[in-house]
Amino acid sequence: MRRLALVLMVSLLVGSAACVKKQPAATPTPQPPPAPTTTPRPTPSTVTSNVPPPPPVIPPDPSISVTSDPLMAADIEKINKQSPFKPVLFAYDSDALDDVARSTMSANAEIMKKYGTWVITLEGHCDERGTAEYNLALGDRRALAVKNYMVSLGIAADRLKTVSYGSEFPFAPGHDEEAWKQNRRAHFMLTAK
Amino acid sequence: MHRSILAAVGVACGTGLVLAQAPPPPQQTPQRPTELSITLDNPGSHPKIGFQAIEVSDSRADVRAAAETILDVLIADLEFEREFYTIGRKASAGIPAASTPQSLPFSRWTELGAQFVFMGSLREISGKITVDVRLIKVQGGDAGRQDFGQSYGGCTLDNPRYCAHAIADDIHKQKRNLDGVARTRLAFTSDRDAEASTSRQMPDAGPGKEIYLMDYDGAGQRRLTFNRNLNIGANWGPGGRMLAYASFLANGPADILLTLLDGRPATRPARGPDWAANHLPAISPDGTKIAFMSSQGGQTGYYDVWVVNRDGTNMRNLTPNTPRSSEGAPTWSPNGQSIAFTSDRTGTNHVFIMNADGTGVRRITFAEKCDRPTWSALNFIAYTLERPGGKDIAVTELGRMEARVLTDGLGSNEQPAVAPNGRHVAFVTTRFGKRQIAMVDYPDGKFYRQLTTAGNNSYPSWSPLAK
Repeated sequence: MRRLALVLMVSLLVGSAACVKKQPAATPTPQPPPAPTTTPRPTPSTVTSNVPPPPPVIPPDPSISVTSDPLMAADIEKINKQSPFKPVLFAYDSDALDDVARSTMSANAEIMKKYGTWVITLEGHCDERGTAEYNLALGDRRALAVKNYMVSLGIAADRLKTVSYGSEFPFAPGHDEEAWKQNRRAHFMLTAK
Repeated sequence: MHRSILAAVGVACGTGLVLAQAPPPPQQTPQRPTELSITLDNPGSHPKIGFQAIEVSDSRADVRAAAETILDVLIADLEFEREFYTIGRKASAGIPAASTPQSLPFSRWTELGAQFVFMGSLREISGKITVDVRLIKVQGGDAGRQDFGQSYGGCTLDNPRYCAHAIADDIHKQKRNLDGVARTRLAFTSDRDAEASTSRQMPDAGPGKEIYLMDYDGAGQRRLTFNRNLNIGANWGPGGRMLAYASFLANGPADILLTLLDGRPATRPARGPDWAANHLPAISPDGTKIAFMSSQGGQTGYYDVWVVNRDGTNMRNLTPNTPRSSEGAPTWSPNGQSIAFTSDRTGTNHVFIMNADGTGVRRITFAEKCDRPTWSALNFIAYTLERPGGKDIAVTELGRMEARVLTDGLGSNEQPAVAPNGRHVAFVTTRFGKRQIAMVDYPDGKFYRQLTTAGNNSYPSWSPLAK
């Protein structure tokens, strides 16, 4: 399972480099709106230079095979653009964690265990219903619910920071349930590694 | 003071018919007659004013343009408060201009219904302009008598609008005993310049939102902050001389920034633990304290209303006894002795009032869900009413504890900000498409005006009167 996830991650990164993988609409990870100025497409020379991996300068960790892991070498912004973490989704006006949420967090916890130095900011987000003021607190409760569960899975609390963006930064721009369900989320943002 | 404002509201005209110059509401909606709107229907008591062009001896185009701007803006300012009937300049275009009150063609003006005629003259000396204005009576035996006269120095060619606003405020004060709001401003949040802010460290979140300022009539919109993150919940201090707002730090929760709008760095008077968020500041009417919504009480996701001195001392939780509910969105009573706020302690959001020390909590809203109260100088509290069908601005009059809906249900309407004279409510609406700042008059819910057009806009705050 873990190996499969890693293969998926690698293929995602490579796929994005070649710009061939277009996610179907049914993917559980919503596509972020494209940034208007920055195109994450690396130059061909970058791609070829990736084929023979550069000598690892990271201090070797006996439990991790460093040389074959592009996530280890990628910068934070790049990892967040093709995040290995899946968001935890919530029901309307709720911070309760359902079975899907728990299994998502288990997978995310595995990644955090694998990359033991990573620090994550858990962003709580809400859909546009409810008042903007109420959503500031609701987003906080969502982020904290995820943090508490992640800690129960063995992730150190000081590797999990929380912030609520309320309904200020919707991921999906629409005004229907399809958009709302993506916007009711706790988002895993890598902030240090 | 309150009584005089109330009296002025009591006679404000209720018929859109006579106010031909006022911008029509974008959507005609049936008005439910209320006690107030019926008593408003008293057109006889409103002075009718005609306007002569402002006389300019100079032939320079920019000076003449400034004179035109001043008159146009003045007329718009007077129409905004609905205390005068303005006679359209087109209707009076054929009346010959007079250079002295006695030479005004009285009968021509009275044919149009005018009781007063505005006369003005403007002179310019190296960019500075002086405007002399008069209101002259044109009806009755004392026609030609000056009813209002004032000279305005210190205006500039760069900002003729401000000159007009000063004239309008004086005319409202002297002729109608009304505190006009022509020199007030609004602060708000907008994402309109987000494309210039794409360096935000969060690639798949939305763009940055900054604080903007504008004149009360939507003119002069300009950005105040530029930190490429999220800045919301601006609130003015007394006299419009300070502004507080919540600003998100990089990858962290928001803290309250307080600026004196003088170019010096903002301070962080409510700063707490790094994990805690501070939001929705409300500066006390005397400017000494800031009430705000904070999670400093514990990492539970439940917020409280806190208060802190402007210099950061004496920070304390005013609602510590409700650990499993959120209290927030504070707003001060005009005398600074009470605070209204939102709490979901009953299961859904409602508006409560407490003494400024946290004692004496009582609930004042009961219908559906209510949030973001704004306490007006006219002894009412406006708030967002959230119903299954959408959000509207509602008002509870504190004397009679009577609640009613102010906006008309078109689009989503929320986050009210009340003008310092209590006669207008700015709010966020989707009725024009994106989220825009609009205004509607209180108490009759008439005269919708759109103030913003660019980007999405939210969190309006209306400045107090300049003192």
